[in-house]
Amino acid sequence: MNTNVIKSLLLLLFLQACDKVELLPITSQEIMKIVEMKKDNKAVLLNVWALWCLPCVEEFPMIVEFGKVYDDLEVIFISADFEEQFNEVSSFLKRNGVNSTSYIKNQKDDPFILGIDSKWTGSLPFTIVYAKSSGKVIDSWEGIAPESKFKSAIDAALEI
Amino acid sequence: MRNFVLFILCISFNQAAELELGASMPGMDHSMIDISGKDLTLGDIKGENGTLVIFSCNTCPWVIRWEDRYVTIAESYTPEGISVVAVNSNASRFEGDDSLEKMATHAKEKKYNFPYVQDDNSTLARLFGATKTPHIYLFDKSNRLVYRGAIDDNARDSKSVDEHFLADAIDNLIEGKPIEKPISKAIGCSIKFP
Repeated sequence: MNTNVIKSLLLLLFLQACDKVELLPITSQEIMKIVEMKKDNKAVLLNVWALWCLPCVEEFPMIVEFGKVYDDLEVIFISADFEEQFNEVSSFLKRNGVNSTSYIKNQKDDPFILGIDSKWTGSLPFTIVYAKSSGKVIDSWEGIAPESKFKSAIDAALEI
Repeated sequence: MRNFVLFILCISFNQAAELELGASMPGMDHSMIDISGKDLTLGDIKGENGTLVIFSCNTCPWVIRWEDRYVTIAESYTPEGISVVAVNSNASRFEGDDSLEKMATHAKEKKYNFPYVQDDNSTLARLFGATKTPHIYLFDKSNRLVYRGAIDDNARDSKSVDEHFLADAIDNLIEGKPIEKPISKAIGCSIKFP
């Protein structure tokens, strides 16, 4: 491999590293604090997903769009991928137009799941929507869902 | 449109509540084809002292990480009268990655030492309220559910496990003691219902 090719590859890697989405490790307790802080200011849609989960990847762009369309909605993505996939997760978020801070699970499954919703069995994707005014859970579900289900939960959370 | 409606119905149906602790083993006469070619029911498989039902599949990264422990659990507890079965309920993939042929190959590669059956139409998964792979259900000798959830607390590395939820539950069961932690949670791949 000649020197120019190596230099180009290094430059490309450097530029990619500079352009990464902020991806932070997080626990369920920390997530709940963020949700609590949004009360009275924004409704929250929390989506737990993973790269290997096809339904998660399928519905992901639609959820990103909700964050752009609704001013008073905070969309929070939490990746449940293994920590060695950090760079892949970061690249996926960037490709899908996620510009805000995103999170990757940094806790054992049992306390993580129970800390978010004791009714959640652990199947992905998992979505939970919190009301703007009260911070209370409006709806939660496992599995991929149609746009109408998301919209009705968001509308209820925003009291539209 | 019809497919979309069916899809939505499936989503709702798949989210049926999980089997409650103390509930009787459902679907004991539901016939499932094993990788050996035999038709088996949970009634055929059930153990003298208990039965471990593992909802599993061939490709889920969580299964791949955890399944070495299926084998060690079966090795340790089959001699104690606990029978083990892995159930593949990914009915929408029986023509592809979860075909019986691929299940047989997978079981051979991973040295499965227990039956690995196909759950036609995901019937058993629905009866159990199982949603993901792996999803674990342990029954006592009277076929009552005593434990459900995860194998342990570390999918990535069996050597770094802090809490052996399932092994501890089986030990409790064999010793005739109450199960200390009868429910645990773990992330897994959704079951691919038809």
